[in-house]
Parts: sequence; C-alpha cells; structure tokens
Amino acid sequence: MRRTWAPLSIGLVVAFVAGCSSNGGSNGPAANSGGSGPNGSGSGATPGSSGSSGTQGGSSGGSGNNATGGTGNSSSGGTGTSGASGSAGGTAVNCTTTELEPTPLRRLTKFEYANTVRDLLKVDPSPTSDMPADEVSNGYDNDSGVLTVSSLHAEKYVLVSETLAHTAVQNLSALTTCDTTKMGEDACAQAFAKSFGRRAFRRPTTANDEQMLMTAYQAGKNGGSYQEGIEVMIRAALQSPDFIYRLETTTPADAKAALVPLSQFELATRLSYMIWATGPDDALLDTAQNDGLSTKDQVAAKAREMLKDDRAKLGLANFFNQWSGVTRLAITTKNTDLFPSFSDDLRNAMAAELPAFLQYVLFQGDHTLHTLLTKPVAFVSGPLGQLYGIANAPTGSSPTMVDLPDAQQRSGLLTQAGFLSVQAHPDQTSPVLRGKFVRTMLLCDPPPPPPADVNISVPPSSAGNTARERFSSHAQGSCQSCHSAMDPIGFAFENFDAMGQYRTTENGETIDASGVINGADDASLGGNFVGVRELAEKLASSSQVNDCVAKQWFRYASGRLEAEPDVCSLQNMQSSFSSKNGDLIELVVAMTQTDDFWYRAPVTL
Amino acid sequence: MNPLRFTRRNLLRGGLAATAAYPLLEADKAKGQTASPTRLIVFTTPNGTRNALYWPTSDLTLPSITKPLEPYKQKLSFLKGIRLNDQLQNGSLGGMLGSEHARGTGGMLTARPLNAGTEFVSFGNTTSGWGSGQSLDQYLVGRLAPPNLFTSFQMGVHVRDTQVRARIAYTGNNQPIPPREDPNDVFSALFAGATAGTPGSSGGASDAALARLWAQRQSVFDLTNAETTRVMGIVGSADKAKLQAFQDSMRDVETRLVQMPSMGSGGSGSMPATACMAPTFVEPDLTVDTQYAQAGQIQMDLAVAALQCDLTRILTFQWSYSESEHLFQFLNNIQGNHHAISHDFSSSGVNYDAYNAIQTWYASQFAYFLGKLDAIDEGDGTLLDHSVVLWATEIGESTQHDLTLMPYIFAGSAGGKFKTGRLLDWSNNRQDNNQMLVTLAHLMGADDLASFGDPSGKTGPLPDLM
Repeated sequence: MRRTWAPLSIGLVVAFVAGCSSNGGSNGPAANSGGSGPNGSGSGATPGSSGSSGTQGGSSGGSGNNATGGTGNSSSGGTGTSGASGSAGGTAVNCTTTELEPTPLRRLTKFEYANTVRDLLKVDPSPTSDMPADEVSNGYDNDSGVLTVSSLHAEKYVLVSETLAHTAVQNLSALTTCDTTKMGEDACAQAFAKSFGRRAFRRPTTANDEQMLMTAYQAGKNGGSYQEGIEVMIRAALQSPDFIYRLETTTPADAKAALVPLSQFELATRLSYMIWATGPDDALLDTAQNDGLSTKDQVAAKAREMLKDDRAKLGLANFFNQWSGVTRLAITTKNTDLFPSFSDDLRNAMAAELPAFLQYVLFQGDHTLHTLLTKPVAFVSGPLGQLYGIANAPTGSSPTMVDLPDAQQRSGLLTQAGFLSVQAHPDQTSPVLRGKFVRTMLLCDPPPPPPADVNISVPPSSAGNTARERFSSHAQGSCQSCHSAMDPIGFAFENFDAMGQYRTTENGETIDASGVINGADDASLGGNFVGVRELAEKLASSSQVNDCVAKQWFRYASGRLEAEPDVCSLQNMQSSFSSKNGDLIELVVAMTQTDDFWYRAPVTL
Repeated sequence: MNPLRFTRRNLLRGGLAATAAYPLLEADKAKGQTASPTRLIVFTTPNGTRNALYWPTSDLTLPSITKPLEPYKQKLSFLKGIRLNDQLQNGSLGGMLGSEHARGTGGMLTARPLNAGTEFVSFGNTTSGWGSGQSLDQYLVGRLAPPNLFTSFQMGVHVRDTQVRARIAYTGNNQPIPPREDPNDVFSALFAGATAGTPGSSGGASDAALARLWAQRQSVFDLTNAETTRVMGIVGSADKAKLQAFQDSMRDVETRLVQMPSMGSGGSGSMPATACMAPTFVEPDLTVDTQYAQAGQIQMDLAVAALQCDLTRILTFQWSYSESEHLFQFLNNIQGNHHAISHDFSSSGVNYDAYNAIQTWYASQFAYFLGKLDAIDEGDGTLLDHSVVLWATEIGESTQHDLTLMPYIFAGSAGGKFKTGRLLDWSNNRQDNNQMLVTLAHLMGADDLASFGDPSGKTGPLPDLM
C-alpha cells in the first residue's frame, strides 16, 4: 500500500514585539471597514493616503488618515509605520503603514497545486502525490522564502503535468464546449488558449501568452490531433512560471512609491489562495475584470461570500491543521507494543475529526476561537468513538457529531486525539511538547533553547511514577527557567496518553493534572487550574491568545514571518479579531483589509 | 507503482534512455583515461554517536559501534578531531542559533550557519532558518559538470520530516533539495523516467511515440525557458534569483527528459556488456517503522545500481532525519525512541544498551552498502575504491549535542588518491569541517579549491590525509 506523506508542520515562532504604538485601539470595531479604502480607480490609490488607516465610517477622530510619514505616535523602530493620532470611540488602531516588507514571490505549495489542477482540469489530482512535500518553516509549509524549485521539483512539474493533461483531455468536453466542426480546430484552440490561459495564469492572457500556448498546441496537433494539441497546450501552461508562481507584476514597479497597489486580478488571486487554497475561478476573475474588487468594502463582501463556499472548508482547514500540528498525523508513528490500537483506521479517524469539527465551528456554529477551544463535542468515525468512551458511538467512515461524555473531561481542539497524538513522542507523552505548543502557537511566547550539555533524555515511563515526578528535575537548576514556562502547562494534559486515550493513573499512581501558566504577559492567564478544560477556558478568554492567533493567521496568509513594517496590518487584525469576540471567519476578512493585503513593496528591477 | 508494471521492453527502453551516459564511462577509458570516474557519496545517520564506542585505536581495533565495518577497515579513514567551524558553533545570522541538530544538519555539507529564522525549537518543531549557502555536493555539480544523467542524486530512507533537520543538500542559500524516499520513485527516475507520460499510452510506447514525446517536451521546455526569461525582467532581484533557480532546474531535467539515447541497433544489444542491473524489489510500507531495514536495503540497492550504471557520480543518502525519534522495536525489542535514548547519560542500563545497538545497526547498514560497492569490479579496482564515501551524522557525542568532535569516516580512496586503513587523529589540533569539505572537493578533482563555507572556518584541506 502506498500512502502519501503529508508535510510535517509545526513550529515555534518568534515573539514579535510591535514597534508601533497605538492608543485605545484594541477594543473597538474593525478598522478599515468604512469607505476610506482604495478608490474605485483601483490602481490609482495613493500610497499612504487612503488605503489603510483607521477612519471607520466617519467615526474617527478626524486625523486618522495620515499621509506617509504622518504625525502622531511614530513607531519606536522608525521604519514601516507611523502612528496617527485620533481614533475616537476606540474604533481603529491609529496606525498607518508607510513602508512594506518585501513580498516575496510565492510558489504554489503542493497542496495548492493539487487543488488548482483539480479545479482547472476537472481531474483527480492524485498524480500530484508524486511531488515532494513542501519544507516547513515556523509551523507552515507555505513559507515563500524556502519554497524553491529543485531539479526534483522540476522533474515532477514536467511528469505530473503530462499525466494530468493526458487525463484531462480524455474528457475534452468538460474543458471546452467549442465545436470544432463549426469553428474549426485551430479557432477552438485559440479560444481555449484565451479562456484556459486566463484561469491558469489568473489574469487575462496577453498576445504573448496566446502565442506561447498556440505554439505548444501546434507541437501536439501537427502529426497528431486537436486533442493532442490541447494536451500539449495544457502541459505548457502547467509548466509555465505564470502558473507555478503567483506572480504580482501587473502594476509596473515604481521605485518611488512606497506601497505599490496590486491589480484586481492579483487581489483575486490572494483572496482565492488564502480562503480556498486554490486558484480563482472564472466568476472571481470576472469580478476582478469588472472592477468589483476596487474597494475594501467590495473585497470584504467578496471574502465573506467566498467563505460560504465549500472550497473555504478545505482552505481554512489547511491553516488549522498546520497550526495545531495535526497535519503531522500522516507521519506520526507510535510504538506498536505500547499502543497496539494506533491503527491506520484510527489515525485516519483522528485526521478526519479536525476538519469536521472546523466545519461545525466555522461554518455552522458561532465561528469563535472560544468554541474551537472549549466545545465538548467530538466528530467520530471508525474506532475513534470507542477511544473517547462513547457508548454506541457511530463507527461509520464519515465523521459524525456526538456529545463528549463528561467523564473524560474533554473539550475542544486541545483534547482531540489527533492533536494529543501529534503533541507526544512515539513511546510516551510529552508535557514539554504540549506545554510548548501552548506557549508557541497560542501565546506566541516561545521558550528559549535548552543549554547544551544537559541530559535532556525523556525518562523511561517504566520508572513506576508519573510524568510529573519524572520531569521534576526540570524544576531545578538551569532547566527551571525555561521548563517552568512549558512543563506546568503540559502537566494539565497528563490525563491523556501519547495517543490521546483518557487515563487517571500512570503506573498505578493517580495523575495530578493541575497546571499553571507561568510568566504570561496577560495577567488573566495566571492562577492555578486543573486539566485541559480549565486551561482551554483560560486561553479562550485571553487577549494574548487572541493576538497570537491573529498573528498566526497573518503568517500563514502572508507566507512569511511578520516584520516591523507589518505592525499596523497586524495590529488592525488583532484589534478587529478582539472586537468581533474572536470570530475566526471575521479574522479571515480582517486580513483582506490590511495594507499588507492590498499593496506590495516596490522593487528595483 | 509496482515496477512490474514496466514491460521488459519498456524497462530496457527506459534503462537505455537512462543509461545513455553510460558509454561516457567507456569513452573516458577509450581516451586513455584508464581510471574510472570518482564518485562522491554522503551517507548520513542521525543522532550522533558515543565516542567511547565509536573511535578505533591507532591499530584500528574497532569498538562496538564500528565493529560491523571490520571487513572493510583497510579501506576506511577514521577522521578524528574535526569540529564544526566557529560560526556554526557560536554564531548566528541575526536570529538565534538553532538547535545543534539543526545546525549540524544544515551545516554538514555547507559549513555555513543557518539563516535567521524564529528561534530554537527541538523535539519535532521548526527551529530556525534554513541553510545559508550551497552544499559541497552541489558546488561540485556546478564545478565539475558531471556528464551523467543525474548530475547529483538525493536519496533518503524514512526521512519523512520536512524541516531544517531533514535536509543536507542545498542548491544555494535557502534552497534545500528534498531526498527521494520512495523506492518506486527512485526506480522510475533511474530506469524508466523517460517513458512516463507518453501520450496515448500507459507504458508500452513505440519508438515513434517516444520521439514525439521528446520533441513535444523540447518545445514546451523552450517556451517555458523563454517565458521565465521574460518574467525575470519584470521582477525584483530576490524574485529574479528564485526564477533563476527555477530556470536552472528546468534546464537540468530537460537534458534527461528530452534526451534521444544512442540506441544503436535498438533492443538489448546496445546495453553495455558490463550491464548494470536494475534491482527488483517489493515496495515496503514506508509508513511503518518496523520496515525500516527493508526500505533501507532497497534504497541502498538502488543507489548502488545508480552508481554502477554511472547514472550519477554524486549521491547523498540520508537515514531518517536528524534528532530522529524513529522506533527500533524490530531491533532487540527496543521500546524507546532513538532521540530520547541518545540523550541518556548513564554508562549502563537499558538506554545505554539500546543506543549502542541502534548505532551498531546503522554501522551494519553502512557495511552492507560498502560491501555492495566493493563487490563491483571496475577493472582497476572496485567501485568502492573509486569512490570517497563520507559517513556523517549531525552531532558528535549524543548526550551533549557536541559539535567539536564530529564522527566522520571516509571509505574508499577516490581512485587511490590517499592511503586508507588509518586513524587520523587531530584531537589535540582540531580541524574545521570546512577543511573536510575542501578535501572532498580535491578528491573529486576540484583540486584548486582553497576554501569552502563560512570564512570563520579554516581553509585548505585536512592535513596529512593526501
């Protein structure tokens, strides 16, 4: 049996200290939702003057819309942002982006490539499993800095595109309805070059594009057939840098502009990959073509509409799978002597739970981070219900929602068996890993490295005591300073073993699942708690967690780590997320309202 | 995909396409170059070593971990006393250092520190940025322009991980090259790659169909190349570098995917008399740790075939990822994971025994590999004799994440370029890993290379070896 390995995906992230000051902006409604966005002319927006800052439907204090280098509370770092005064009514973060971090060229990830060809060619994208998994940086597999094209990638781009194109043209009528008997083969091919080229390159084709595609067509048609011509044309499109990369070059680079506006097609592409993890469809491209993405309101409305589409379920699950580390289930192994029930069936059921839970939370429920972290429901299939101790649990192949019994004290994402299995070793639990996950991905406050030359072996679980006792050496000496940030959080998870099974004892001794979050910036996170339920409740109500989740979304959506010039965009998102009570769907929309989303940095050719 | 799906004819055709470079080897000899080509192989295993169980005495008495290498020890050079350079030990490029496992991996063949990333992570998380420079194998690709079908070839066994700790080969700064982990993929690339995607067929392509495919590929390559050049003119310099890498990679595969092999009379008659054989195998379940040995052996067999057929002269072979938590229940019923075991300080007990057993098992895999290479007679010596094989791991003494005494062994003599069967001991006069890489370059024929990697490292080759 052949299984495709999914990329590993979890990582620590740096705590970014905002260099931009803001006043009273953290509790108001979303920034930038008013009519002050880019004007209808699209590319005509003047950088720094209208696109970004915090006038909110006239409720601003009046000077929130400063020009480049505006007055007010300038950022401590001096680059990238300038504070602006006035944000009446606690509405918006008074922060103006005056410079952008370079926005590196993004290559499609393996996941995005697969989704894109599925939609473009209407084929089963499974041949893309031959492509190498993407490298993971900072928890995500879409970091533009490291997504390169090695010879191995190039080989697969060629061979996979050939397989896909060959399959696609077997059902040519699904791709084009052009009647060759009426129009003639070459005219149909020309029409296909135009329509298919637009989808593949995510913008209207140029004469150059069409000539390129028609040359490929001729290489298949001459001595072959119309169908073979289309097949070679598809290969050429899929091997083109215009397809493999998300090129943002439409607006001529102007070294004088600090913020270069994107074309509406480029905005459509950003929207599409961020929300759907696939390329824009014809309707979205039409919207761009018809000037329908020229204001921030329009883009917000379009984003909300796209979030209702089924493709959003796949796209958003991709973020949460990576953020939580659950993607790694595909490459997680467990000691078969210690965990004999960790079967392929069980692993598949675990992997299926999070997307199903997300569908419930994000698309049926209240969309909130609070629900994601605390809702005591499970989505079980196969043997998973039994693991959760649910009587007469459904064992079918598709995840079914059930209430979690109170006895196991489970609630939300952090007690799902998939999460707990990934955040553990193959042979035993890891309070360190679980604590570190909370510290890193929920608090954005990762611990520093252990010093060299320390015995960091995990004590064997056969020592006849609990993990808390075995890890007691961490509470001493030089280990203490860092492990006090992780282990006391991780101990709260000890009622769940290395594959997420509930337990009350370990090696015959009762487990103490009390915990504490030491040294968090948010004081509300202090104080003792017992078990993951109480931990999740604390986390779900914390402003630090709110801001961290927004930052994680920013990283994923941007395909890079944040940098100083991003501070206003980031603060606007955090403020919006908070004001919408942790609405994860609105967080997605908030990203579309940032300067980081609307502009790119100028480049020197 | 099961290799059996390839028809005999197709396998031969693919093999022919793939071995088109083989006559070059013969041609070299015909031109009076009696020596066979020199091969560079990097063989890596994770989680360091224990010095007391690894290093031989000066008369090459081998302790437990290296004991499996006994049959080949006269062809080995134990390089004791090499450290990672200062920048890899203590420096950073603006971020935090990254864990020793990550640095030892990203710096293994680059001798450069990791880029600034986020910060330290251990135990299965991303650590820091990626490697900041080209690895030696890729330098040699550019420098020597090997005439083979694959200018270099990257293989792995259960690597699975896709983070910094899982990549040793770099085309350049931030450009790691993933290894091929699936034996079917390796087989297909080496021995049947040129037939994939043949229009209108699922395997049994005719000569005409293949010729047509190659012509079409050439046409598409030309179009892609022109378009890439156009786009490079309208993006900034950083993006231009990315597109350049894309263009280079497409060009690299172009030469083998559109190559019209010199098929002679066609059919098996054109296979060289000393025909290399594509190994047959049954694909193991790559998701199961207990089938590690099976997966490893198949990959080693394929690697040897690739070398024997002269499909590549530069090959990296990676076992798992560094900091590996691989399980070894199949070996003495070991229950813990490798990385956890590797950190136990105790000098006896369950973990001590388990670590010793795992490291010894890895050495026996290396011995198997060397044995296969040494069994191939190339006239004036064996394939092993004509190679330099580096066995490396990302850290030294495993309990301490040490980077000052790296466990490095050379096998083979690169065609008799140096005396083997020795322990070279620089324990009191440590050499930098830069020098080890320069030495490899010299052995491969780039003998004017003065330095490699970060400038904090010492220049020149290792003393006393050649």
